[in-house]
Amino acid sequence: MSKKRGLGFYADIYRKILIQDLKSKMSYRADFVISTFGMIMTNLSGFVTFMILFHNFPTINGWDYYHMLFLYGFSLVALTPVQCFFDNNWNLRFMVQSGDFIKYCFRPVNVFFYFMSEVFDVKGLGQLAFGIGTIVYAWIHIGIPVTPLVILKLVVFLFTASLFMIAIMNIAAATCFWIKGSGYVMVIMFRFKDFAKYPSSIFSGVFKVIFTFIIPIAFVAYYPSLVILQPDNVPLLSWLSPLLGLIFFWLSYKFWMLGVRKYDFTGS
Amino acid sequence: MENEAVVMKNVCKDFKVLNRHEGLAGSIKDLFSHDYKTVSAVKDVSLTVNRGEIIGYLGPNGAGKSTTIKMMTGVLEPSSGEILVNGKVPYKNRTENCENIGVVFGQRSQLWWSLPLIESFKLLRDLYMVPQKEYDEMIELYRSLVDIEPILHKPVRQMSLGQRTLSDILAAFLHNPAIVFLDEPTIGLDVSMKSKIRSLILGLNKEKNTTVILTTHDMGDVDALCKRIVIIDHGQKIYDNDIEHLKNYFGSYRTLKLCLADGTWEETLIDEKTTDVMDVIMARQKETKITDIKILEISTEDVIKKIYEGGSV
Repeated sequence: MSKKRGLGFYADIYRKILIQDLKSKMSYRADFVISTFGMIMTNLSGFVTFMILFHNFPTINGWDYYHMLFLYGFSLVALTPVQCFFDNNWNLRFMVQSGDFIKYCFRPVNVFFYFMSEVFDVKGLGQLAFGIGTIVYAWIHIGIPVTPLVILKLVVFLFTASLFMIAIMNIAAATCFWIKGSGYVMVIMFRFKDFAKYPSSIFSGVFKVIFTFIIPIAFVAYYPSLVILQPDNVPLLSWLSPLLGLIFFWLSYKFWMLGVRKYDFTGS
Repeated sequence: MENEAVVMKNVCKDFKVLNRHEGLAGSIKDLFSHDYKTVSAVKDVSLTVNRGEIIGYLGPNGAGKSTTIKMMTGVLEPSSGEILVNGKVPYKNRTENCENIGVVFGQRSQLWWSLPLIESFKLLRDLYMVPQKEYDEMIELYRSLVDIEPILHKPVRQMSLGQRTLSDILAAFLHNPAIVFLDEPTIGLDVSMKSKIRSLILGLNKEKNTTVILTTHDMGDVDALCKRIVIIDHGQKIYDNDIEHLKNYFGSYRTLKLCLADGTWEETLIDEKTTDVMDVIMARQKETKITDIKILEISTEDVIKKIYEGGSV
């Protein structure tokens, strides 16, 4: 009686929802144009701040301008998936508080998937383009050889880097199943992403430990990018980052789902 | 397939609630407090619903209706007792259970807000893996029961409340589930929309032999749809029988309406077995002038009110 729903099914459903969603978004042209403009301005201002900073301090801890730029671009690309595919996390606490969240539990599909599939944030795509542009620009200036292996490494490590930020936001959002002030948790965690674009070596002592093992911001760009930037001197944590990313994402997913199970759904 | 759609045996559901303290000091205390009290939302409820039945699941606010529905849909786990929906434990097989149920929570649309209804239908078809042929047949059936053309290409966001409720009900039946849960489907709707929705529910129930579990405060819904009603209060089942039986039981009750000199109507519920209607009229007439008199049979609404207020059955 039960129907099997595998990865192919989920990919197909996501694609169909996405197409419908984009179609309806396009129909609100003013909204689309304004949000695209806002997104470009945000990225531009971030970039300008970065430029000003680095014209004053040409190197930080042995990192020169182009290495820093590469790291910046790397973080932008790694932060794209969380922006595009997991943006509905920001709405979770409102849905949970109002009781609307229950509707996600009545479909014969994974609740986490169904919830996230509802929102695709187009603004992330601009960030992606900006990030790729920055990486290419820095890449050329640093003179990293372009071989299939390096490209493969870049893709794999970008992918795993993105898992860390997704996991952080999943956990931050899921706190709303237990506490009322989860909005603050999310905003603080989201702010931390700004640290991702600096080499973790500039942080000392306690902060380094925190950003590596407690709130693993250092994995959003720094550790994975070392595989490309310092091919002769890759720390163990960098090599481990794909595995750690998968584990961390899986844990965050379990935590999110635990919240769904524990939640009382009181009120009608 | 078994004849029972839902079987509940001695089902209880308790919630742990933190005893909150007042003030800032109190909130800090709450952070570390383990001072919980247990609230029983559902107490020892047993219930069997057969296939094709439409039952009215009634009770005052906070009686435990929603909690029961949430347990039947697999969202909440019962604290004790047994629930079988379509022969399966809903909480342990949530996704599987969801394939065979449809849910409508009045005023809370489950459709994609920005999509035209037809696109929502197509997504649901894929989500529930409904074969194209069955899907087409269902749409045909819908066309024969209601005029869906005006809403089919309209985004849900732009719909009136009535159209949205209609859409939600159609969406809930789309994958031809064995059971549909309707929670206050006619709340806030005008009279003509109410009757349209009631006849749609009846039509779908008849055509597809779908079990319908209806919670409502609107006795019009109950009169139009349900043969059997179950009433729950303070988490306990206090009535479970045919609606006719209920009326017979309270058959000796009359609503006496007296119009006073200033034009206001005064209502009194009288049990003819214990009180004589004429005595009441005469007693009242000695006190004030009465210009008009009406004696009505008890309505379902009054019966339910009587039961909520503690009239034993």
